[in-house]
Amino acid sequence: MAAASRTEASRRPDWRALALAAAFVAAIAVPLFLDPQGYWIRILTLALIFAALGQAWNIVGGLANQISLGHAAYFGTGAYASTVLLIHFGLSPWIGMVAGMALAVVIALVLSVPTFRLKGHYFALATLAAGEAMRVIANSWKEVTGGPVGLSVPFTPEDSFWLMAYGAPRPFYWIALGALAVITVVFWRIKSGALGYRLRAVKENEEAAEVVGVNTFRAKLWASLISAAATAAMGTIYVQFNYFFDPDTVFGVASISIRMALVAIVGGIGTVIGPIVGALVVIPLEEVASAALQGQAAGLSAFAYGAILIAIILIEPRGLVALWQRLRGRMSRRAP
Amino acid sequence: MQFLQALVDGVLIGGVYGVISIGLSLVFGVMNIVNFAHAAFLMLGMFVAWFAWHYLGLDPLLGAFLSFAVIFVFGCGVQRTLIRPILKAPQVAQIFLTVGILIVLENAALLVFGADFRSVQTPYQTSAFDIGGIIVSKPYLYAFAMALLSGAAVWAFLERTPIGRAMRATSQDPMAATLMGIDTNLMHMTAFGIGVGLTAFGGAVILPYLTASPTVGAHYVVLMFTAVVLGGLGSVAGAVVGGVAVGIIQSLSTLVFPIQLQNLILFVVFILVLALRPEGIVKRRAA
Repeated sequence: MAAASRTEASRRPDWRALALAAAFVAAIAVPLFLDPQGYWIRILTLALIFAALGQAWNIVGGLANQISLGHAAYFGTGAYASTVLLIHFGLSPWIGMVAGMALAVVIALVLSVPTFRLKGHYFALATLAAGEAMRVIANSWKEVTGGPVGLSVPFTPEDSFWLMAYGAPRPFYWIALGALAVITVVFWRIKSGALGYRLRAVKENEEAAEVVGVNTFRAKLWASLISAAATAAMGTIYVQFNYFFDPDTVFGVASISIRMALVAIVGGIGTVIGPIVGALVVIPLEEVASAALQGQAAGLSAFAYGAILIAIILIEPRGLVALWQRLRGRMSRRAP
Repeated sequence: MQFLQALVDGVLIGGVYGVISIGLSLVFGVMNIVNFAHAAFLMLGMFVAWFAWHYLGLDPLLGAFLSFAVIFVFGCGVQRTLIRPILKAPQVAQIFLTVGILIVLENAALLVFGADFRSVQTPYQTSAFDIGGIIVSKPYLYAFAMALLSGAAVWAFLERTPIGRAMRATSQDPMAATLMGIDTNLMHMTAFGIGVGLTAFGGAVILPYLTASPTVGAHYVVLMFTAVVLGGLGSVAGAVVGGVAVGIIQSLSTLVFPIQLQNLILFVVFILVLALRPEGIVKRRAA
């Protein structure tokens, strides 16, 4: 029976991998049909960035059920590392990205000591405080971060891949798509590999996992280091795309930490396509709502954002993917 | 002298932190949920008191009772419609539901009240007692006194009344409580209402020395969590002790560190307390 379920399990992801790869190829062509300076290419790029962030969050949040509310700590680290190196040393953001990832790994290592013994709500609280601590540091360490005023990515007159600088959003779309593809593959490999099984053991019952010999600390550590590095890399891409940022945006609880998790939760926590579906729904919805309502009433789009979050959790806590499966199941049952 | 002054200020501010944190602890103790939206109810309480002052001329120290009543009813409604369905849901759903409530309440306030900062004028606002060189600010002192009173009232309610006893029974063993004929759903709703009502009460009494705005709650989120974790999540008296401790830490840290780092110290204390005391917390939950 075990053998049968395993062959079935290995056959099905193949089919899905093919579908996802086809979607990826199709996604490469999408910008060719959009106005290169337009509104939609910007929104789609942002959605891809958040899909990648949701996927990075999913590694710890989804697979191991460690609900982090402080991933902005890594995101902001990536944002500041690459920009500071670019401003002061003229280093390419690609190198800065690697430096930011390394720094994020160090921070994740330091945070693992006090937070890994905590579960559920306590873990969420501790990570929330860690993210906020980073925001306070960035706000007060003016010599490096520019303080509350923020930093701007230096202007480059010509497009340059080496400096990750482009006048139009289109190249960023492809960069973000590439990053999403890489992180998705990493997530997939983890999920179907040995680490994924260990993380799932942590999720189901940590004590039992320990008893049968799973080193839960090491499993959680690997997952969170990979997740931190991926999040930092997206921080670099995000600020190169956005030019300007301040501590409250890149270290923000609502703007980054919650949004990353939200994207994964809305789509389907712990699934491969969850964060992608979630980001493609949440980000355009938010952007369109805030553009349509701009100036009319401050807070309306954020209000809607919160209301959608509540509605999704009350209707189907496992997200849109599960909702879709449920609806499809109901319809096929109804069919003769 | 400077040290003593900081200590006095810390205790006075911390007493209020204690009271606004009681609800967080109570809600966790009774229904095992961390309410991330708790600070938003503090903000709503401040607005209720501000409107009572603006239109009725009610001093916020008295308006606090109105704040409690209004937010109690509102909180019961929120618990009934939004929290009850997810009491048995996975933790991730619980966390993000209350985060969603936080976002909705904050932005609803922004929509309805606007982003302005609103303050009240009271005759005692800028006056203080001078006790042997220690300056005791009157608004701080009054807020502290009101906070302690309400804290004591809640304690008496939980310890001395039949409803309070039923509530404690629900928190200890919901199944056994149900068998004893206690309506646990009603207890959950009442506990949530009292919890957020109390934080609204605390919001009102600090209005004489602070300003109300839709985002004011953000300043209190980590403060409150630190207070309840210090005192032990689920414990009412612990929340008050934890609150006073937080006030003292905050006040004393400004003697040594620049004021911008005040909250950083608190975050570090918070993470350390979480890391060093999880056994105590887990034991409480198992009890």
